[in-house]
Amino acid sequence: MDDFSQVRKEAARILSEKIVDMVIGFKQGTIPLKSQPMFITSQEDTDKLILDGFCQNNLAVFLHDQPKDKRIGIICRACESRAVRALVIEHQVNRENLYLIGVPCMGILDWKKIQDAADGPVTNAQESGDQILLEIGDKKQVLIRNEFIVDSCRGCGHREPIDVDIQIGEISPIEMNADNLPQTWGESFKSKSADERFQLFTEETERCIRCYACREACPMCYCTECFVDHIAPRWSESMVTPGGTQAWHIIRAFHQTGRCVECGACERACPMDIKMVYLTDKLNDDMKKEYGFEVGENEEKQPPFATITLDDKNRFKY
Amino acid sequence: MMPKLIKKIEFDKTISKWFKSYDVIAPVSSKEGIHFKRIKDPKEIKLDGNQNSIYPPKNVFLPQSEVLFTVKNDNYEMPDQAPRKRIVFGMRPCDARAVWLLDTIFNKADDLDLYWGKRREKALIISVGCASMCSNGFCDTVGSGPFGKDGSDILITELDDAYFVDPLTSAGEALIKSLPEADDTQGKNAKLIQKGSVIKEHQAADLPRIREKLYEAFNTSIWKDVSESCLGCGVCTYLCPTCFCFDIVDEIDRSERVRNWDTCMFRVYSAEASGHNPRPTKAERTRQRIMHKFAYWVDNEAASGCTGCGRCISQCPVNLDIREMVQEITSLKIQ
Ligand code: SF4
Ligand code: SF4
Ligand code: SF4
Ligand code: SF4
Repeated sequence: MDDFSQVRKEAARILSEKIVDMVIGFKQGTIPLKSQPMFITSQEDTDKLILDGFCQNNLAVFLHDQPKDKRIGIICRACESRAVRALVIEHQVNRENLYLIGVPCMGILDWKKIQDAADGPVTNAQESGDQILLEIGDKKQVLIRNEFIVDSCRGCGHREPIDVDIQIGEISPIEMNADNLPQTWGESFKSKSADERFQLFTEETERCIRCYACREACPMCYCTECFVDHIAPRWSESMVTPGGTQAWHIIRAFHQTGRCVECGACERACPMDIKMVYLTDKLNDDMKKEYGFEVGENEEKQPPFATITLDDKNRFKY
Repeated sequence: MMPKLIKKIEFDKTISKWFKSYDVIAPVSSKEGIHFKRIKDPKEIKLDGNQNSIYPPKNVFLPQSEVLFTVKNDNYEMPDQAPRKRIVFGMRPCDARAVWLLDTIFNKADDLDLYWGKRREKALIISVGCASMCSNGFCDTVGSGPFGKDGSDILITELDDAYFVDPLTSAGEALIKSLPEADDTQGKNAKLIQKGSVIKEHQAADLPRIREKLYEAFNTSIWKDVSESCLGCGVCTYLCPTCFCFDIVDEIDRSERVRNWDTCMFRVYSAEASGHNPRPTKAERTRQRIMHKFAYWVDNEAASGCTGCGRCISQCPVNLDIREMVQEITSLKIQ
């Protein structure tokens, strides 16, 4: 965003006018290519707010820990706003106590891919229009920004923040030039045969170390007790074996059916660089096709697989 | 002990010779970056660049998941462990030091962890020093350094056309007995490289002071402040070469008792059967992690439980930086 000062001003205003008790945003990270989520309670600190392609988390995840009656301002890119709506629909947050500051997003960058493409350890990184300017010690290097946008942002079909209290900055189109870019992982996965797809799934899951960063980074994973942590009964294999990691990936994805907001925060949190949004994307596509349901598109409709009604025509079959 | 030499053109041959009697585990390229695994061909080894593996090699001795025993017809059967001798080649000094630290936990004469002990007994660690320090490492400030010797049987310094091979234990010396000796010039060059590897601006951490300050801060709200953005995942601890917590589970279907890594950063880690959790929020959990590294280890072994590998800093999904956290809590700098 070119002029972020307006966002800082708005954050300062809602704090000083006591509209909220806290603002959640991002600040500069301690190392290149990273940023840190930030929790601001005093107006002076709003100067530290930033937003760039290195802000890799979905800030809505931090609402899980906050008391429902606390008044919170949150800097919302489209994904954050969709996550807030999904959390409202699932009665996890009180919309009245939130103040959403909508901001445009130009796509999140893959820091690992940037580091790999750099000629050495990156010591400084800045975005500049459609470029990424790197410093590697005394050397400089320029990368084309589009080539480093994460897959989930490349396919993004909803770039407008929804249901925000104020929108700052204009949503401009991302010129992707997708023709010049290799297929995203998800696209190429879809084009494969069932055997090849299973092979790919196996290769991805076998690197999993069950650190659950994907779960903890996900705005929609908020269960107080996750199925993998449940002891009696135990729902899954405890070991880091294909039986354990594949079960984790499959069940996690199914729990997200029609709930995943497609922000890709899980994938970006994964230290082992494991692909996983292709699974929830597919499940969301099915929800669209079979139930005409899309996350965030409606203010009331519950995700079909998370809905129970007493007058359900179909009986449970088992 | 006499330092030896492996000419680069003879590197593959030298390593291949070990295959006969040893399984050789070494850093290779993988989808996520550098990864330690058993190699079949020396060409797989990836030593160039200054990046360490993302997943720490502590799993060579403490696998993330292992079967402790199986119950069969009322008998306990222990799995056959590490039947072959192993060489871990290309460990970085921070990780070798971590093994040395973990020996104080698992490899005590009067309190031996059989599983760790057997694996350690049958393994040699050949470390490769880091001519230029990795991006987020600060090993040189917490008691070790890019050419730190703790934990290694052999320490290698890469020269232009050869590897300078310094044996540090008698087992290490025996392994490289037949290699040619390094001459004085090579010795001098190795020293220069070792000296040039540390970062001048780095200062040694004042561990006793940090420890004291951490205890002083124990009951303050600073822990809440520094942990506000923590997600409570397993990244910093699973990837940490010195974190060693585990959980023991009975896989009843298979009559197995298994051990899996666990972490103090998970909420369920400290949850008790009654429902009570003595570390109810991430503030207490973060406090445990930091206190363990920079206070309890100092109490027990007079050494930092952090070897400065920087993995938790590079990989934390919210960029919580242990250096910054310690500094904020104690106002004393590490690095
Ligand atoms: S973040 Fe990655 S390694 Fe960790 S549990 Fe999720 S998929 Fe597995
Ligand atoms: S994976 Fe499922 S059980 Fe676990 S936290 Fe997410 S939604 Fe809950
Ligand atoms: S890796 Fe970061 S977010 Fe995860 S538990 Fe550690 S400090 Fe918290
Ligand atoms: S605390 Fe962090 S820097 Fe220190 S040894 Fe563990 S992972 Fe490495």
